[in-house]
Amino acid sequence: MGFNFRGLAFKQSLMILAAITIVFGMIFGIMSYKTQEMLNRMTVENGEETSRANVNYIDKLFNAGKVVGEDLATKISEHSMSKEELDDFLLQSLFNARSLIPQVVAVVVAYEPGMGPENTEGEYMRLARFDHVDTKLVSGANYQDKEWYYSVRDGKTSRWQEPFIGEFVPEPIAVYTVPLFKKDKNGEDMLIGVLAVDMSIEFLKDEVGSIPVSNSGFALITTTKNVAVAYPKSLAEGKRNRDIIVREKRGQKQVEFDRKGRDSSGLFIGTVAGGEESAIYYTTIHSTNWTFMVVWPIQKYLEDQSLMRQLFLILSLGGYGIILVIILLISFRVAKPLKDLAIAARKLGRGNFDVAIPKITGHDEVAEFAWAFSNMLTELKDNIEKQKDMKRIERELDLARNIQLSMLPGEEREENSDDDRHELAPFLLPAKEVGGDFYDFFKIDNDHLCVVIGDVSGKGVAAALFMMVARIILRTMTKNLKSISEAFNKTNYALAKRNRLNMFVTVWAGIIDLRTGHIDFASAGHNPPVLRHKDGTAEFIPSKSSVVMAAMEDTIYKQQSYDLQPGDTLFLYTDGVTEATNSNNVLFGDNRLLEIIRKGGEQSPADTCALVKKEIDNFVQDVPQFDDITMLAVKFNGIDEPVWERYEKTIDVSDNGKSHALKTFVEDILTPMDGAKKMQMQDAWERYEKIVDVIPENQDILTAFVEGILAPMEGSMKSQMQINIAIDEIYSNIVKFSGATEVTLIVEIRKATLSARLTFIDNGKPYDPIKQADPDITLPAEEREVGGLGIFIVKKTMDSVCYRRNGDKNELAITKTL
Amino acid sequence: MQINKTNDNDKLTIALEGRLDTLTAPQLDAEIQGKLDGVKSLVFDFKKLDYISSAGLRILLMAQKIMNKQGSMVVKNASSAIKEIFEVTGFCDILTIE
Repeated sequence: MGFNFRGLAFKQSLMILAAITIVFGMIFGIMSYKTQEMLNRMTVENGEETSRANVNYIDKLFNAGKVVGEDLATKISEHSMSKEELDDFLLQSLFNARSLIPQVVAVVVAYEPGMGPENTEGEYMRLARFDHVDTKLVSGANYQDKEWYYSVRDGKTSRWQEPFIGEFVPEPIAVYTVPLFKKDKNGEDMLIGVLAVDMSIEFLKDEVGSIPVSNSGFALITTTKNVAVAYPKSLAEGKRNRDIIVREKRGQKQVEFDRKGRDSSGLFIGTVAGGEESAIYYTTIHSTNWTFMVVWPIQKYLEDQSLMRQLFLILSLGGYGIILVIILLISFRVAKPLKDLAIAARKLGRGNFDVAIPKITGHDEVAEFAWAFSNMLTELKDNIEKQKDMKRIERELDLARNIQLSMLPGEEREENSDDDRHELAPFLLPAKEVGGDFYDFFKIDNDHLCVVIGDVSGKGVAAALFMMVARIILRTMTKNLKSISEAFNKTNYALAKRNRLNMFVTVWAGIIDLRTGHIDFASAGHNPPVLRHKDGTAEFIPSKSSVVMAAMEDTIYKQQSYDLQPGDTLFLYTDGVTEATNSNNVLFGDNRLLEIIRKGGEQSPADTCALVKKEIDNFVQDVPQFDDITMLAVKFNGIDEPVWERYEKTIDVSDNGKSHALKTFVEDILTPMDGAKKMQMQDAWERYEKIVDVIPENQDILTAFVEGILAPMEGSMKSQMQINIAIDEIYSNIVKFSGATEVTLIVEIRKATLSARLTFIDNGKPYDPIKQADPDITLPAEEREVGGLGIFIVKKTMDSVCYRRNGDKNELAITKTL
Repeated sequence: MQINKTNDNDKLTIALEGRLDTLTAPQLDAEIQGKLDGVKSLVFDFKKLDYISSAGLRILLMAQKIMNKQGSMVVKNASSAIKEIFEVTGFCDILTIE
């Protein structure tokens, strides 16, 4: 099983990982920011801590220097001194100042030209200086263009000058300069000179160099003009003050750091004297407006930060990995069984119901699903088995129904019961389930037609089988006994004798004498048929019903009778008609049936049945048919004209010896008519008909057809053989010469006289075989022809052969006594 | 119809079983037509033949004509019914019936 990149596990893992990544990213970002902020704060705090004491100390010193300067200036302005007095004052002042601030190395006074003591002409400058050994007084000159002088003279305000190495003080000094004023005549302040206090800043270097700064850092002091004045010695090697420039990193560029426009203290990233990148804390020395800086090489500074980051990253990655593993485990725990189930489902889809459902333990959703799936499989299997069974049963029931229906006669032609004296039509519409309805009709003899309708109790195969048995027994019994009540008695006995399932059947049957319309009938618990008279009235035939058939062995059925008038229609039906139910549970009922038949009864039997069916459909609407609907309508036409039977015989009048044949022929025909009516009935000709297409092979069909009819008469083998030869000869002639497409063979037999009459009717061209000259049968073999020999044989072996052209048909009749 | 032929040197026996009629006659025709070369003695055994129609007679006549030229032909064991046909049609005069 490869890893499925579109699988649930992968997608789920991916999504969770993405979410976790975002969360981690955010945490990392916030942490970084916070760390940075914290570090900055810590750095600033560190810087403040480092600088506070120093800045305070420096401030104190310079403030003191300032106070000294202001104080001296006030004194000089207030007292007009001589040169001597000024020198003393300067010496005294230096001494006083140094006792207070040892860093003061000189006190200077410089006057505007002509403004000096004792109104000296031109410049006057005096300087009291301490040269680390003792104190000296020096005069100076050419100071007018010195910055420390003109900046104060022009600005008229006190200020700290940028440190410089003095002319008289050969070391770096910070100079506090104060303007000296004197009231003029108008009482306004007039500048007369500048007082300066020089402070050595050498000490700053020592001070700054000795400040301990954590993380390889160092301290630095720059002036207002960003000139470094104090820094560790290590930084100074090989460099001059002006090289020690602090630059700030602005993006990719380095610009000279300028405190203007910034807070009085803060943090920035930059370099010192082109050294390595550093984090730099700065704060203002307020007294001089200088800047105190604490510098940490960034490497060191960032180390802390990156250490934090690394730690966090390692922790994150570790957590990430663990979460990933857990997710994958969970996903596979979920996906693996799902995948197994999917494989099982696919197999199941292909019809493999024996597929093993993966066993999944636990109580989670997947286990529940597997359990449901397995349940589904079992139920599906059962269902399909059931359906298969149902299908099989349904198929077999269909087959049973088809057999059942195909055994019922469809039309009168099939039964050879059609004649002009009556019309008959059956109708059977089976319900979905095989039912037990049946009808039957057949002729007992030429003049007696039996009609039957019945309904076996129950439904299904049992009812169908029972119905077939009942119908066959009743038919056989009726044909043999020729009495409807006798047939009922015998049939009932036969059915009741072995009726372990206690089934029963209702039957109504009657035998109609087609000559008179007289009907003998009996009823075994069946609805009486409807009788429609020619005048349009309809009624149920007066019929007394006895008990249903197959109920009791020794039931005696009463024969009843009725005389049908020409034009009367007898309508037989089962309860499927009268008990058809509509959606309101109303039955179709007797009255509705009577009414329909009254109205539409003058139609043909087939139309009457169709009409009743249509009315039932209208009545029930879309309620499904529950029971078989079975009907049989028979209309008695009566005898409008007598039915003539036609017999023909051709005799050779030239031969006197054969003239008796004509007499016999006529006698044979007329004799049965002299006998009793019953005799005539029994002796009547039975008529069979077969229609075949004209192809040679159908000769076998005709031969078999005739043999089937003649065999029960038990005539001689020879006669049978001769008839077969005759069929062969006549049919092969028709095949060869007539050009006919269809041959109808009518076989009529009369058992009483063992007579058979075969009539061949074909639609070929006119051809009278009898007119053919007989072949000369005396010639030697070499001169013989076979033509005409066939018909010759027929003529010789049959009792009679006659031909007539009837319309567009040839009719050839042969008779033979078996 | 079944046709059983037995060859014994120049003697050929054809035993027929069933019906020799319009439908079956062509079978016998095929068995005889052009296959009688060298046959001196032809015997038809009709013991199991049910009946014969004019189509069958035609074959017999044809065979008889051939055998008249190259030997002899005999019809054996014909039933009375078949014999009657031979009689009716005058075939008893041309065939040798035993």
